[in-house]
Formats: sequence, structure tokens, C-alpha cells
Amino acid sequence: MNADKPNLPKTVGVWNRLEAPRIINSKNIFKYMNGAGELYLGYRFRHLEVFDYTSADQGNILVELYFMESPDDAFGLLSLDWGGEPVSFDGAPAAISNQYFTASTRALYGGGLLRLWSDDIYTRIMAERETPASKEAVLALGKAIAASTQNPPEPALVKLLPIKIDAGWKLRADRLSFFRSHLVLNSIYYLSHENILDLDLSAEAVSAPYQYIPGSGNPKRSQFLLVQYKNHERALQALNRFHDAYLPGYKKKITEETTADSLSLFKLEDGWIAYKLIGKHIAIVFESPDPESVRTILQKNESNLLKKGEGS
Amino acid sequence: MKDIMPVLTRRDFIRGTVGVTLGASVFGLQWPKEEARATVTSVVTVVRDKKAMDSGKNMDITVLEKMLVETLIRVTGQKNTKDAWLSLVKPNDVIGLVPTDHLNPTHDEVVDVVKNSLMDAGITEDRIRDAQGPRNAKKCDALIAIPGLKAHWLTGIGTVLKNYIMYSGSPSSYHQSNSAKLGEIWNLPFVKGKTKLVLVDSLYPLCDKGPQPDPRYQWNYNGLIAGTDPVAVETVCLKIITEKRKVIRGESWPLSPPPICVEAADKVYGLGTSRMDQIQIEHSGWDHELLL
Repeated sequence: MNADKPNLPKTVGVWNRLEAPRIINSKNIFKYMNGAGELYLGYRFRHLEVFDYTSADQGNILVELYFMESPDDAFGLLSLDWGGEPVSFDGAPAAISNQYFTASTRALYGGGLLRLWSDDIYTRIMAERETPASKEAVLALGKAIAASTQNPPEPALVKLLPIKIDAGWKLRADRLSFFRSHLVLNSIYYLSHENILDLDLSAEAVSAPYQYIPGSGNPKRSQFLLVQYKNHERALQALNRFHDAYLPGYKKKITEETTADSLSLFKLEDGWIAYKLIGKHIAIVFESPDPESVRTILQKNESNLLKKGEGS
Repeated sequence: MKDIMPVLTRRDFIRGTVGVTLGASVFGLQWPKEEARATVTSVVTVVRDKKAMDSGKNMDITVLEKMLVETLIRVTGQKNTKDAWLSLVKPNDVIGLVPTDHLNPTHDEVVDVVKNSLMDAGITEDRIRDAQGPRNAKKCDALIAIPGLKAHWLTGIGTVLKNYIMYSGSPSSYHQSNSAKLGEIWNLPFVKGKTKLVLVDSLYPLCDKGPQPDPRYQWNYNGLIAGTDPVAVETVCLKIITEKRKVIRGESWPLSPPPICVEAADKVYGLGTSRMDQIQIEHSGWDHELLL
């Protein structure tokens, strides 16, 4: 799906748009991002258009339109941080209105920065100085962008994660991220400086914590990761690499037979870890407080995956 | 049996085996033993003033000038700024100022205040250059690093050590596990030993999502952080960012990925100390949310 190009106004409040946008592609994004372009290249990035709105005495407003290959990629960029005040534009619900938090959140505002997911575009609109007038202008620009685009559903993989698990574990949807790159994974949940899960642009991954709040005492947390590969062979290969790198003390060759029926469970320094190969998916639970919890979280996710016909 | 190269993982940070694994997998050499290093103390100054920058990001240059004077006197132990500068550089040196030039750049006002202060000390304007980029640095006898304080989504922190990344000629090769090697840039022949002062613009730092600005994670710290030991200065910067993240979330919120370049700059490249117990912090001025 390729969105229509948003029609940005020439003037918004006291801000005037400079004529031509700066066009940034995968070659010059490193210069634009001061060497840190991998964040966008870690998703399927097409190009970036940068518009500058200037004012005489109220600072500038920067509009960045990241054109991605698919709405999933644009969603992924928004999902890296759900912080901020949800914003509603015409026809788009702003806050939690249905089962899934992320499905209804398309735009978030905070401190002068509006981040917006619409079609295959991820947008950042940032006022140099936050004032009531600049906030109004930023939101007006967001509305103009949303007006010419549609609201596709969130990535299918995201919807596979159960929100509640029997024993009281709840998904922290406000910390759920969708990604394809190990660099992005490391910025969410550090695993290794190396790409030990063989992630690349053909993979899809989602990670979020599950939290259990007991009647008394501190909340318990487990980090869940689900990766979908191109096919079963790639997933099997990746799981073997992960095991070798992350669990080198536990010698084991993962084969069809060893993974078909049982999950692999280990006690590590920071809690229990378990993984399972499910068709072309790998599911891993990290830092779980006990074997029962890790099993419960993994099995419920597996059953959801199979129920939705994603287990092959 | 074939040897498998160890891979640095989350578990190394939990077990405290980062050094061993990095030594074997990234550096191809033994991580120096802690006890083999001489005990040193590095002074890092943290000078703050509530009036340096207001909430509208308007800067008070007079306040900034006073903060620089205080910084120079405290770092060098000299009585005035002229003596302070001349204890750091020679009058005939070509001096390169190395600000962060893009994405949360060093404030121009900070660079201007440094330049004017050098000129007041008798350094002629034609001997003061912008030295960001390798071509410019090669022509300089002394460098003053003036980075902006920020977290970095690829390397954890992107302040002091990362400020010289363009000197490498290949910035993208210092990402991922190779970010541990950022310290080697400071030992390049045209860089080594030239840095006379590290002065971090911490007026409006960024504690997450850097280098792209995100105002939700920026705040008025209104400080200048300085020293002659780049690793010690970076370590203090790291502490401030880490503490601010705790304040924002109300719970521990470690930098991700962890900033392994800081410890490596100490233990592999010998650029200074990354141990807080070997750093003497001299704070003056505004003490609200000092984060140290």
C-alpha cells in the first residue's frame, strides 16, 4: 500500500513552509541522522521528506515524513515509544477503545513533538519551542497529513499476543514494539551486540513484557519475544544460532524432534528462560520468576498462534 | 574440537563478564586486569546555573561566561582564565574547537563563549578553528572537545567518545559491537594527546532516543561538565543520564544497548578512568536535581 502524498499547507499559524523539501534516501540518511540512520534502515525504508516551517520569532517547526514499504513498517517506528498524549484526528480514535491498545493509537503528542502513523508513512512533527500556538500548528499539520491517508490495521503478528494470561499475567501493551532488526531489538531489550537471532528485513518480530501484580510485594515481569521468519528452515537455523550464543553452557542440537513437543527451559542468572520453535516462528520468554510462569506465558502464546492458523 | 568465539550477550552484563568476552570476541586481546592499573583520580567539574537557559531555551550569555570562568579555574587550579587557558594550550598553538555539529548540536553560544575566552587569553582568532572532521583536526596542535550531552540509541551514550567519530573516516564501522572501539579513534596519530579540555554542553541534554531530538526526554540541566580526562567526563555524563531516566520512569531504566565504549576506553585504550570511585566531582552552583 502506498499512501497519497500528504498535502501540507503553505502556512500554518505564523509559520511558513519553505518551498522544496529536503529528500533523504538510504544513501544520505547517515549524514542526516549524524551516523545513526540504521534505525530507519532497520525497517523497510523508502525515503524521507523533510519540510521546514519558519517564523519570525517563534522558532521553527520541522516536519519529517518517512515513507516506508508498508504500514507495518510505519507502525513499527511509532511502536518504539507509546509515551505521550494520544491525539485524535477526524475519524481516527485516539485512546483505548477496543481490546487492543495499539490498534486505536495513531498519533502521540508530547513536549512539542507529534508522532503519527498513517498508511505507510511515519511522521515526526516537532516545534523548536513548545507554546500553545506551536502546539496548535503541530496538530494542524498532523491533521492535514492524516486527512489524506488511511488507517490500516496493525501488523498481524502484533495481534497474536494474548493480552491476558490465566494466572494473572498481563501484556504491557504500552511497551510493545514491532521490528525487524537486531539493532532495534537492542534498543528495546538488549540481547547481544551480535545478530544472534538472524534478524533481517524479511523477518517480523514483536516484543513486550508480561507483568504480574501480586496482592502484596513487587510486580513480577517476564519479557516475551516472538519472531516470524520467511520459513521454518530459517527459524530452525536462527534458533540454533541463538542457543549457541546465548546458552553456550547448555549443549544441545535443536532438531525437528527436539522442538516438536516440548519447550526448552533453562535457569539463568536473571531468571528462567524458555524458547520454542513453532512452525516459522520462534517464541522466547526471558527473565521469568519461576518455571510455571515461563511455561504458562509460552504455552498461551503458542496456543494463540495455533488457533489463528499461524503455527505452520 | 573447534573453538567457538564467545559472543557478548545480556548475560555478560549480569554476570560481570563483559571484559572477558569483549577481550576475546571484539579486541582479540586480553582485557587488562583491574589491579594492574595505577590508581589515579580525575577531576570532573559540574558547573550549573539556573539562569543559564530559560524554559523557552533563551540563553543568558553573561551567565554562560561566568560558568566557563568557574569551570576553567576549577579544572586547572589557576587563578584566572588567562592562566587557565595557558596551562592547557600554548600561545602559538593552532586550537581546534570540536563541537557536535548536527542533531542536538552543541549550542552556538557555548562555542562562541569558549572562542571569545580563548581570544581574551591572548590566542589570536586565526589560530582558533572549527575542528569537526579529520581534515581540520590534522592542522591543529590542540583540541577542545565540546560535545552535547545525549543518549544514543546505537551506542548507549553519544557524547564525549563519540564526538570524534568523524575522525575515523568510517563512522558506521563503529556501531554494533564495534562501538566498544570508539576509544581507538582518540589514539589515532593526528588525534592522540591533542585534547586539552573536554567541555560538555549539558544545558539541555537528551536522555533517550538520541541522536534525534525528542523533547519528552530533554530537560534544562543548565550545566557545563568538564575535565581533562575524557573517560571520567563521559562517566559522569553517563551517571546523569542514567539517573534522569530513573526519575522519568520512577524505576530503573537502563540504557539500551549498554554503553560498553566507556569501560573499553578506560581498560583497553587507557584514555582515562571509568570508575566513579576514581573520579572527584567538583560541583558548583544550582543543585536542583543534580543527579550525581
